[in-house]
Amino acid sequence: MELLKMKDICKSFSGVPVLKKVHLTVEKGEVHALLGENGAGKSTLMNVLTGVCPLDAGEIVFDGKRMENLTIRHMENAGISFVHQELNLFNDLKAYENIFLGREYTNRVGTLQAGRMRREAGDLFEKLGVEIDPNALVCDLKPSQKQLLEIARALFFEAKLLILDEPTTALNTEEVEHLFSLVRKLKAQGTSFIFISHKMPEIFELCDHYTVFRNGEFVGEGQIAQTTPQEVTGLMVGGAFSGQSLYTPRPAGEPVLELAGYCGPGFHDIDLCVKRGQIIGLTGLQGCGSSELMQAVFGALPATGGDIKVFGKPLSGGSIHEAMKAGVAMLPANRKENSVIPDATLLENMYLSEHTLSAARFQIHQKAEQQRFLQYQSLLGIKAQGSDGAITALSGGNQQKVFLARWLNTQAELLLLDNPTQGIDVGAKAEIYRLIFELAGEGKTILINTLEIPEIQKVADVCAVFYNGRIIQMLSHGQIDEHTVMLYSTGAAGGEKKQSVER
Amino acid sequence: MKTTVKRNALSGWMGIVKKYSFVLVFFVIFLVYALVSNGLTWDGMMNVFRHSAVIGVMAIGMGIVCLTGEIDLSVGSMLALTAGFSVVVFNQTGSILLTLLFSLACGGVLGGINGVLVGAVKMPAFIATLATMLIYRSLAQYLCQHLPAGAIGGGSSVYRMSNQLAGYQPLYQFGNGKLATLPIVGIVLIAVTALFVYMTTSTKFGKKIYAVGSNQKAALLGGIKVSLMKTLVFVIAGVLTGVGAFLWIAMNASADPATTGKSYEMYAIAAVVLGGISMSGGRGRCLGVLFGAMSYTVIDKIIIALKMDSLINDAIKGAILIVVILIQLAGPVLKEKLVRMRHCQNAATHG
Repeated sequence: MELLKMKDICKSFSGVPVLKKVHLTVEKGEVHALLGENGAGKSTLMNVLTGVCPLDAGEIVFDGKRMENLTIRHMENAGISFVHQELNLFNDLKAYENIFLGREYTNRVGTLQAGRMRREAGDLFEKLGVEIDPNALVCDLKPSQKQLLEIARALFFEAKLLILDEPTTALNTEEVEHLFSLVRKLKAQGTSFIFISHKMPEIFELCDHYTVFRNGEFVGEGQIAQTTPQEVTGLMVGGAFSGQSLYTPRPAGEPVLELAGYCGPGFHDIDLCVKRGQIIGLTGLQGCGSSELMQAVFGALPATGGDIKVFGKPLSGGSIHEAMKAGVAMLPANRKENSVIPDATLLENMYLSEHTLSAARFQIHQKAEQQRFLQYQSLLGIKAQGSDGAITALSGGNQQKVFLARWLNTQAELLLLDNPTQGIDVGAKAEIYRLIFELAGEGKTILINTLEIPEIQKVADVCAVFYNGRIIQMLSHGQIDEHTVMLYSTGAAGGEKKQSVER
Repeated sequence: MKTTVKRNALSGWMGIVKKYSFVLVFFVIFLVYALVSNGLTWDGMMNVFRHSAVIGVMAIGMGIVCLTGEIDLSVGSMLALTAGFSVVVFNQTGSILLTLLFSLACGGVLGGINGVLVGAVKMPAFIATLATMLIYRSLAQYLCQHLPAGAIGGGSSVYRMSNQLAGYQPLYQFGNGKLATLPIVGIVLIAVTALFVYMTTSTKFGKKIYAVGSNQKAALLGGIKVSLMKTLVFVIAGVLTGVGAFLWIAMNASADPATTGKSYEMYAIAAVVLGGISMSGGRGRCLGVLFGAMSYTVIDKIIIALKMDSLINDAIKGAILIVVILIQLAGPVLKEKLVRMRHCQNAATHG
């Protein structure tokens, strides 16, 4: 039985069509994957469906009724709930308060019935198998618990259709498993899901049907059981994508980064030697300390012990500027929060870091900067018209290239890339990998921290697997595969080594 | 093809209007002034510069602070304290140069206190500068009562420059004289504005100010020393208030610690907002602040020209601020609605 049918949906923003007569059908009690690269129109369609933005033309039928009044409130009451990528929770409220926000139980004079709400929230969590204390403050919850809380909130008000927009980006493997089991349980009870994700294994594990968009157009739909990841990827990128490995071994030069007994918040006793031209992958479960290690090397977090040498010279640590002068650059994770200067142009965004190194020559030479921007634009393949556009108008992949240019422009030799392909579509990912190889070939040294093992597999010469804040195993390129890395990063293997180090 | 060109030209023109809306606001207000003042004179117009000088220079400093997303509530009190002490320095030394240097240094130090509290100690700027606002004003008043009568030039509750000194006439001349029909203090205002327009648009330091206000965390991870930048913008605001204090004593030959600079922090903020600088930081231009400050001076003049009670002054200033911001905020929303309505009509006629 059809639960949702969207037909011939059109939407344009300031004259630019974003959705061109697309359609989407979701059955009752299924998990439907909505696929497409960034900018394919997935989010826009979901925003139309949930009443966030009005549609230009088309028809939406939900639960047998034609939807006319497309407002957020109305769609919510009809039973459609959007679990956003950026969680819409109130950190300073308690878990149960978040569930009842705006629809609190009150008695006749308007006093809140906290006990009743707490009890019902507790019952709900129990029913869903979610381990959250209704009284806990949301800011104290783990990312996975927040995600589950948001889903619980949607379910409490009997959502028939839940939209999950990249729900697993902030979760580790175990938490993803928990989320999936919950989704399966609800599916069996007749709830439908629209699942938006870039991760193929998850889609093939969880989903029943799929719909693919490309450039705002519908390109295909079908049953997951009758397709392959290669075929779906082909539909998404339109044949431009080749999954071929670009990996070629490179000679390693002199040591660039030497860590000995390096300790800091979230990691300890790190011994690592990285040589010029190498690409080192750091991985592990969420919170394993690899990201913190990078931040400490860059001076964004204080190290608490051990030695660090960059190009043979010790760093005192704790100062980003010192690290930059020594030739270290870090492309931080969470692009929007940590890299984007939203009010500045592309050129200003690119020159941000170089300006701090050359601050003594305070005058800006517009022409020279312009020239340099064009150089990097062609080198990195930044798709943008001119250097004075807004950074926020670019897609995630192009933004990331601008930030890569920001750091290359500082003449850094050691590049620390923290989750560089986060929220970037398949095509742009492949380009980022190509750039990483090119840079390494030119003699830059690169560290990549990522939770995505296939990514490490593609690019890294050596992979350092983190477990509980320390490197539990080093794997060479040939040894890297999902299974092995998972064994070490969950602590299922490598116990003897750990012990021997402790001894 | 032709229509798209036309539309592009139109939208380009609209863009310029939006970018320079502060000029438009100024000219509308100025037009009203021209109409009510029966006969605009060159001197009358130049007087706008003269009367905008102190608040304009201070508002530029406030603008720089606001660009980093902070606020400085203490500049009005700082003006009173710096102006008062500068008078004392003038009375003791008789030197104009020393008085000027003291004004700048005193403003810089007082601003530096704000800067350290906000930048290094990481206190919320609203609270820190609220505290220093109380402190600076109180000190200005207290010391006026407790300094020897000779130092404050008479012994009343006002800091008065001693007109016996050789430097008195030249300094007063500087504050009230003209250079080729332009008031000298107005020239100072324009020079300061030009300097800061240059600094914010064409120097690396200026770009960093915007970056800090736009996304502090990204600025920090991009290598900008955010605490230092925040401290520095408060020092700059302080030094500019020092300039304002020097202009003030040159123009008035005295400073009353109870009333000098009273509510000036609010006028400065209003000028900044009217000039199009975002209070959350990262957006806006220094040139706008000049026009914002001058707009307010013209409003004063309109009220005088209409022979209205000057006590209504603030009510009108406040109302204009609300109207301008309302237009800025409501304009895009109305436009969007209009476009949507047109779409609906099109859809209805086509389908």
